[in-house]
Amino acid sequence: MSTDTHSSTDTDPTSSWIDRVSASDVGLYALLLGLVAFYLTPIQTGLVTSIKTSQALRETLPFLPPGAAGITFEKWQVAFEALSSGMINSMLFTIPSTILCAVFGSMAAYGLTLANWRGQVLVFATFIAGIFIPYQAVIIPLSEFWTVWVNLDGRLAFLWGLPLLAEKHATIIELIITHTAYGIPICTVLFRAQYQTMSWEMIEAARLDGASMWRVYRRIVLPLSIPMFAVVFIFQFTQIWNEFLFSLTLIRSVSDPAASVTLILSGLGEAMEGVDFPLRMAGAFVAALPTLIVYVLFADEFAEGVKV
Amino acid sequence: MRSRARHARSDDGGCDGRADRPASLADAAENSPDASALRSDGGVAGETAITDDYERTRLQRWRDSDFVQSVPFWLPPFLLMGFFVYAAIGWNFLISLTEYSGFGDIDYSTIGLHNYVELVADAGFWAATRNTLVLLVAFTLACLVLGLSLAILLDRKIRFERTFRTIYLLPFALSFIVTAQFWMWMYNFDFGIINGLFGLVGLGPYSWLGSPRLVLGSVIFALMWQFSGYTMVVYLAALRAIPGDQYEAARVDGANTLKLYWRVIIPQLKPATVSASVVLVLFALKAFDFLYAIWGFRPRRGADILATKMVREAFQRQEWAYGASIAIVLFILSLAIIAPYLYQQYTQGNL
Amino acid sequence: MARTTLEHITKVFTDDNANDIVAVDDVSIEIEDGEFLVLVGPSGCGKSTTLRMVAGLETITDGRIRLDDRVINDLPAQDRDIAMVFQSYALYPHMTVRGNMAFGLEESTDLPDEEIDALVTETAEMLGIEGMLDRTPDELSGGQQQRVALGRAIVRDPDVFLMDEPLSNLDAKLRSQMRMELQRLQEGLDTTTIYVTHDQTEAMTMGDRIAVLNDGKLQQVGTPLECYHRPANLFVAGFIGEPSMNMITGTIDGDAFVSDEFTYPISADLAAELEGVFDVTLGIRPEDLELSTEEPEDSRALSMIVDVVEPMGDENVVYLRFDSGDVGIDDDQLVLIATIDGISDIAGIDRVSVRIPEEALHVFSTETGNAIRNRRLEGDVERVV
Repeated sequence: MSTDTHSSTDTDPTSSWIDRVSASDVGLYALLLGLVAFYLTPIQTGLVTSIKTSQALRETLPFLPPGAAGITFEKWQVAFEALSSGMINSMLFTIPSTILCAVFGSMAAYGLTLANWRGQVLVFATFIAGIFIPYQAVIIPLSEFWTVWVNLDGRLAFLWGLPLLAEKHATIIELIITHTAYGIPICTVLFRAQYQTMSWEMIEAARLDGASMWRVYRRIVLPLSIPMFAVVFIFQFTQIWNEFLFSLTLIRSVSDPAASVTLILSGLGEAMEGVDFPLRMAGAFVAALPTLIVYVLFADEFAEGVKV
Repeated sequence: MRSRARHARSDDGGCDGRADRPASLADAAENSPDASALRSDGGVAGETAITDDYERTRLQRWRDSDFVQSVPFWLPPFLLMGFFVYAAIGWNFLISLTEYSGFGDIDYSTIGLHNYVELVADAGFWAATRNTLVLLVAFTLACLVLGLSLAILLDRKIRFERTFRTIYLLPFALSFIVTAQFWMWMYNFDFGIINGLFGLVGLGPYSWLGSPRLVLGSVIFALMWQFSGYTMVVYLAALRAIPGDQYEAARVDGANTLKLYWRVIIPQLKPATVSASVVLVLFALKAFDFLYAIWGFRPRRGADILATKMVREAFQRQEWAYGASIAIVLFILSLAIIAPYLYQQYTQGNL
Repeated sequence: MARTTLEHITKVFTDDNANDIVAVDDVSIEIEDGEFLVLVGPSGCGKSTTLRMVAGLETITDGRIRLDDRVINDLPAQDRDIAMVFQSYALYPHMTVRGNMAFGLEESTDLPDEEIDALVTETAEMLGIEGMLDRTPDELSGGQQQRVALGRAIVRDPDVFLMDEPLSNLDAKLRSQMRMELQRLQEGLDTTTIYVTHDQTEAMTMGDRIAVLNDGKLQQVGTPLECYHRPANLFVAGFIGEPSMNMITGTIDGDAFVSDEFTYPISADLAAELEGVFDVTLGIRPEDLELSTEEPEDSRALSMIVDVVEPMGDENVVYLRFDSGDVGIDDDQLVLIATIDGISDIAGIDRVSVRIPEEALHVFSTETGNAIRNRRLEGDVERVV
């Protein structure tokens, strides 16, 4: 289709009715803006609520900002204090497992796509199915495995005396390995989609040039996958940061020193006298901050990761 | 024999300074005493030498095959993933046959299907199953319709398309725990916007997250808000893959916009619909975070689904074996979706 | 540099329905050191598969491939010291031209960097691409990319060059220029080369020898002129030469060849050569048909209608048919194609006498397709070839 239907209306047969009938053009944009309101209202409401005093909360409409007197940043401060240890914990497991997922995914996709052997589709199918299995089907064995079988904090007890290390890091390591294992399938699928579009002849040329499979990966495939690594990093970072079920079942307690940001948020602002909504909203924004920043900066990469 | 000479060639390389072209080095190597000695040792190069070479390489065939060479790449991730996914599911099944309830070691000596028998008799299980199926169907359809509409709107070469797309997909980038906070406030009985809107037309207020008749619908609506951006992206990619001249051809044939989409474009979106549906259905099966963030382990009556029941039985009530059996039901439900999907993709050569 | 020998090479693929497909069937070719051999045939004939087996990109179902005395059947591609130029060029998009050309030397030798660089520069100069060494492939034209692909193969100075339709992505003019240049390069380097193409013109003009493949089977190996003048069978006769050889099926009846359209007397010599084969196909090259406007007086001349004339400039291609009365086009109708001098004016003439000289006739057994007799050339055939 034409690249810009707005500049040429009469000559271009592909220019659609919206260009000719400006009333429906207005309608289209009104509709799109209405949808923007639909998608942003819950978030916007949350944002204005988070800076309201409890009096302003009762007196102003939920989506309107409070008057100058009704503004308080106290909730943000409280939320940040409550969530900061969770933020650090989440970072500690999210970043390593994101990197590991991407590396393993790229390797698996390479071995299953750019090498020529029978049965790779079958192996690959087990990876795809791995994306879709409900985590409920594995969390019981998972918690059994980590707490009873591996008992990492017991085995690594000799480390906890060292500076910067504490028992909670055993849980962090468990989460890193768990998230890596369950992130591998989607990363493999993403990388494989790219590798399938790579020229076979180019890979063959490299093999004939004397490069082993490892060298082909290192010198041809890896440099060409850098854009896909960006996509996988962005996508996987948000996925792992946002994950909740593993945090709930492996960390269990909101008060655990290893508690992740989503786990702490799930219990934030609950008091006998009712739910403290401004605090919850502030907490939601604090917890979502890293993903929001990543999403706003790399929206295209994120959308790319969603597609598969 | 030649392969020995080739080794000699790379050894000789250093002495020769390799100033010459490699070919002349090869010649040098062939004429080197080492190589010629080999040649006389082996007798006249002929059938015997050839056959030896053949046998030798035959032993290496396996080692040199693409399969063996590719093993270091895919096997470690495969084992890690396989252990945590497939071995865990197997183990989960085993636990579901025991009476384990969280104390001491699991006793595998008395195994049986009693947990499954108990399931069938559990009214809560059937209610959860019903809710799961309603959620799954309504949520998937809502996301498909809304996502397709968004994609078609955005595919009209509009301005700020990227900005619109980024905004519509934004909820999908947020954690369910986060979005649940927003929607709890939206649905709030006294101050929520939803009741405010209904109030404008003289309706309500309704207890969106309290009334058993409304809760599931409220949850589906909020999840649709979060997931329709995903369907939009999938459909948008599929729409972009349709060549532009099809639009032109349909216009030349006199089709109006509605007919163009209904008869020409939408039929071509079937593969995108199938893959988006699979993802949505599987999500609906395991939707848990959102419900937990609102209600904790026990959702309001009418909103309990298999995923929440499973976690509650296992992690709150310590009925581990019983929880495991619900997990197996969930797994079988998703298998019923994945297996045909994968098979279809396989027969179409899409894997 | 190496003599390359294919001994009874067979490749069987198994398709998705578990059916075996024989892509290459018992092919044996010996390629001398320094020789330029062209593998030619229609698409799907197994020529690329054969090349890929030599490269080590396909396994060999049966038979063996030798470089000199070394059987390389099971040697992985990266250890074969073979360079290949691909149809798509297969350049590494993220590397500069220099990086592309150096890659093979870096991976297959332990030459120090300066020497690799010197070799790359030297080869680039030879190909006239020294000015673009620091560009990436997407900044080059198709012809330049083609040169880089060649340079990447040449710089390694391998035992054997393999080329898989390397010119097919170029436009016609550039293609004929590169055809010449490739030949010159190959002569200078004197490296054994196997070149795959579906284009018989490339085969005729470039190869020291050509090997014609059809349906996985080797039809003929010979010099271009041998294949042209002494085709081993109907397939080679029809495939080599443009326009194709005219084929007329019929039977031998005593001292005459009888087809649906005409009867053609044959000499005693020819009859003797046929040795009791009766179902035969006559073949005659378009340039051997003699056209004249005079009434046919010779019994070897036929009166035919000029259907279409395609002026090519240097020659005219004339499509001739028999006067069958009906105007419609009948697919079964015999059409003879003749080429005549470009300056002869044939416009406006609609009936000619077409003489088929017996010495230019090829005779094939219709049953087996094999040649029974090839054309006699004036003078000694061997000397011509």
